[in-house]
Amino acid sequence: MNDRNEREVRSAAKRGGVKMRTVRALLRKGREERRSQFKAGQFDFLGFLLRLVLVAAIVALFVVFFGQFTEVYIGLRTAGRTDVFARSTELLTILYTAVILGMVVGGVGQLGRELFNSDDMKIFSAMPINARTLFVARLISIYRGQLGIALVAVLTVNATFAWKVGVTIFFWLMTVGICFLLPLITIGIAAVLVPIFQVIKKFLRERYVLMFILVTALLGVGFWLYSIILGGVKELLLGDSLKYFFNESVMNAIASACNWLYPARWFANVMTGSEFVWSWVGLVLTALVSILLSMLIIRRILTRALQARNQSATNSLLKTTYLTAQGKKLPALLKKEFLLIFRTPSYMFSYLSVAFIMPLMVYFCMDVGASLVENLVGLDSRLELALFLTILFGALTNIFCATNISRDGEMFYTVKAMPLSFKTVFFSKIILCLIVTAISQVASAVLLAAAGIVGALDAIFIFVVGLLFGFVNIAVATRYDFNHAKFSTEDDGEIKESSGTVSTVIVMGMVLSFLVGGIVFVLKLLAQLQNISYGYLTYILAGAMAVVAALLAAGYLLFRLKRKYYEFSGGGI
Amino acid sequence: MQNYGYEGYPSDMGGTQSVQRQEVVRVKGLYKRYSRKADWAVTNVTFSCREGEIVGLLGHNGAGKSTTLKCLEGMLPFERGTITIAGHDIQRDGEAAKQNMGFVTDNHATFVKMTGLQYINFMADVYEVPTKLREKRLAALEQVFQLGKPIENLISSYSHGMRQKICMMGSLIHHPKLWILDEPMTGLDPRTMKAVSSFMHRYVAAGNSIIFSSHALNTVAKLCDRVVLIRKGEQVNELNVKQIYATNPNFDFEEYFLRNERQE
Repeated sequence: MNDRNEREVRSAAKRGGVKMRTVRALLRKGREERRSQFKAGQFDFLGFLLRLVLVAAIVALFVVFFGQFTEVYIGLRTAGRTDVFARSTELLTILYTAVILGMVVGGVGQLGRELFNSDDMKIFSAMPINARTLFVARLISIYRGQLGIALVAVLTVNATFAWKVGVTIFFWLMTVGICFLLPLITIGIAAVLVPIFQVIKKFLRERYVLMFILVTALLGVGFWLYSIILGGVKELLLGDSLKYFFNESVMNAIASACNWLYPARWFANVMTGSEFVWSWVGLVLTALVSILLSMLIIRRILTRALQARNQSATNSLLKTTYLTAQGKKLPALLKKEFLLIFRTPSYMFSYLSVAFIMPLMVYFCMDVGASLVENLVGLDSRLELALFLTILFGALTNIFCATNISRDGEMFYTVKAMPLSFKTVFFSKIILCLIVTAISQVASAVLLAAAGIVGALDAIFIFVVGLLFGFVNIAVATRYDFNHAKFSTEDDGEIKESSGTVSTVIVMGMVLSFLVGGIVFVLKLLAQLQNISYGYLTYILAGAMAVVAALLAAGYLLFRLKRKYYEFSGGGI
Repeated sequence: MQNYGYEGYPSDMGGTQSVQRQEVVRVKGLYKRYSRKADWAVTNVTFSCREGEIVGLLGHNGAGKSTTLKCLEGMLPFERGTITIAGHDIQRDGEAAKQNMGFVTDNHATFVKMTGLQYINFMADVYEVPTKLREKRLAALEQVFQLGKPIENLISSYSHGMRQKICMMGSLIHHPKLWILDEPMTGLDPRTMKAVSSFMHRYVAAGNSIIFSSHALNTVAKLCDRVVLIRKGEQVNELNVKQIYATNPNFDFEEYFLRNERQE
C-alpha cells in the first residue's frame, strides 16, 4: 500500500468515514460483474440483439404516437385561439410526471434490491467495510442506474417534442441539465417510499393468496386505465374527434392539474423558459432536500440491513402439519412447479396475474380495435382481430415459459439425479403452463362471446387456435431456455434479471401473432376489395397454421431432447 | 450411546446382513471432462462399494471428488467408463439406478418455496414411498436429525444447518440401498454430527452402503471402511482403513495424507 492510500485508510478509519479506495473497488466489482455477461461462451448475442431491437421498437412506437399526439395537442384551441407555449408546458409537465413516476417505481425496486435483497451484504457485513463507505458505493450505483433511465426517457420525450415543435440550442442544454438533476430527485422520493414498500412487502410475505388477489386487481386497474388511453388513441386515429374530446372544461382541468404537478412542472418550465430562475431554484432546493432525505434514510436502512444479514433463520408464517398419501410422480412435479411460481412474488406477477388479466386485455383491445378497423377500412374483421389479439396476448403471457428451466437453478441437477424420465420432467413444466394458458384462453373466449363481440362458434375456434399457439410458445420457450439455460446465483435461485432468452421468445411470439393475424386480415381485406367470396378461409388458414405450428414446435421441443437432457451440464454455475 | 431410533427401517426394506456381501456400486475407468475445458476433471477412477460398507472419497479442493459423485448420481454425463448401481447402469438404465440411491449435494440445494413437510412428501412421491411407511420413517428420521417444529415451515426460512438436515431427511425417506453424501458434516452442529455418524454406522449395518466425500480426515478415519484418494482428478490410492487401524492402531491418517500430497 502506498503512502497516500495508507493515509487515506488511516484517516477514514479514525473518523469512521468513507474509504474512497474501497468505494472504487466496490464500483469496479459491479462493473466487472456486468462485463462478465459479455464473455465469450456465456454471451447470447441473438438474445442481446433482440433486446436492443425490442427497446428500439418500443421507443419508435412511442415517438410515432407521441409525435402525432403532440401535433394535435399543440394545435388545440382554448377560448378560440391556439397557445403553443401553454400547451407545450402542459404536455411536458404530464410527460415528465410519467417519467418521474416510472423512475420512482424503478428506484424503489432498485433500492430494495441493493439494500435488502443483495447477497453481497452477507459478505460485506463480515468485511472491514463500514456502512458509510458501502452507502456511498451503493448510492453511486443507484444514481448511475437512474441516470441511464433518465437519459433514455428524457431524450426520447424531448427529441420527439423537438421534432414536432421546433426548439433552440437552449432546449438541448437544459435537457442535459435535467437528465443529471432528475435522478437526484427520484432517488429521494424512492428512498422515502422504500421503507413503506418494505413494510407492505413484509406484511404480504407468505400471504400468497392475498398477494395474488391484490396484484391481479392492481394489474386489472392498470389495464382499465390503459384501455382509456387506447380509447384516446382510437379517437386520434379516427381524425378530429380528439379535439372534441379535449373540450374547454377538459383543457381547464388539465391546465389547473399541471399547476400542481411539481417538480415535473418546474422541469417543463425550465425547458420552455417560463419562470426560468424560480423553476431552477425550486428544482435545486428539491434536489438538495431529496439528497439529504435519501442520505438519511438509505444509511439507516443500510445499517439495519447489514445487521439483519447476520441473522440466518427467519420466522415462517406458512405451515404444513401433515404428510399426504402416496401420489404419482407427475402430479408431485406439477405441485412443485406451481408452488415455486405461486410463492415467488415476481413469478406470480409476471405469469399468473398476467394470465388472469389476459382476457381483459383482449377484451379492451377488441372493443377499441374492432370499431377502429370498421371505421377506417369498412371491414368486419372481428374474428381475425380476435385471433390476432388472442395469439399476441397469449404469447406475451407465455414469455414466462422462457424461464421454465433457468428458474429451477441448481435444483434442475437435483431433479436430474432423481428417478424421473426426461419426459416426466419436461411434461410437468409444459402441462402446468398449458393449464394456465387454457384457463386464460377459455376466460378470454367466454368474455368475447358474452360481450357479443364474436359468436359462440367463433369463440370456440378462437380458444382452440389460442391454445394451439399457446402450446407453440410454451414448447419453443421451454426448449430455447433449455438450450441457453442460465441459472441464478441468488440464494433462493430467483431470476431477477431479464435474459436474452426472454427477448427472443417475445420477438417470436409477436412475429407469430402478426404473421397469422396479418395473413387472415389482409386476405379478408383483399377478398372484399376484389368482391371475392371469402367463406371459411379464416377458419381454414388460421386452423392449419395453428396445427402446423404446433407440430413444428413439438418437433423442436423433442428433437434429441432425451440425449440433450442426459448430457446436460449447462446453467453457467 | 443414545438411541436415535431407526428401528423399523431394516425390516421394512428387507435389509440384509449376509456374509456374502453384494456389490452395490461399481465405478470402472471413469473419465469426465467439462465442456470447453481441455483438462480432464476425472481420469480413470475405479472403485466399488459393497453392502454394509462406507467408502470415502478423499482429496483436496478441486481434486474431482464432487465431480465423481455427480457422475455417480447421474447429474453429469461422462466421457468414458461405466457406473453400475445395484446392478443398473447409470447411463443405460438411469431411472432404476437412481431409484436405489439417495443423495445430498454439497450446496444442499432444495426447493426453498416448499415447507419441510411438503419437501418430504415430494421426495416420497418421486421415490414412490407407500403412505403407511411415510409417518413411520419420518418419525425415525426426526429422532436422528431433530429438526423439530420448523419442519412445518417454509425451507426459505431455514438456516444452513437446517437445510442440510431436511436434505438428508428427504434423501432417506425411501430408504435407499446407497446413500451418497457430498461433504455431509459441513455446517452441522456437533450434536447432529455425532448423531449422523452413529446413524451412518447403523444404516450400513442394516445392509446398505454409503459413499461420501470429505476434507475432514478425522471424520473419514472414524467412519470409513475404505478410502479412495483422488488427486487432480486421478485416483492415486485406495486404502482399507479398517484393516490399517486393526494392524496399526496408532496409524496417523493425517500425516499419511499430507506426505502423499508432498510426494506428488
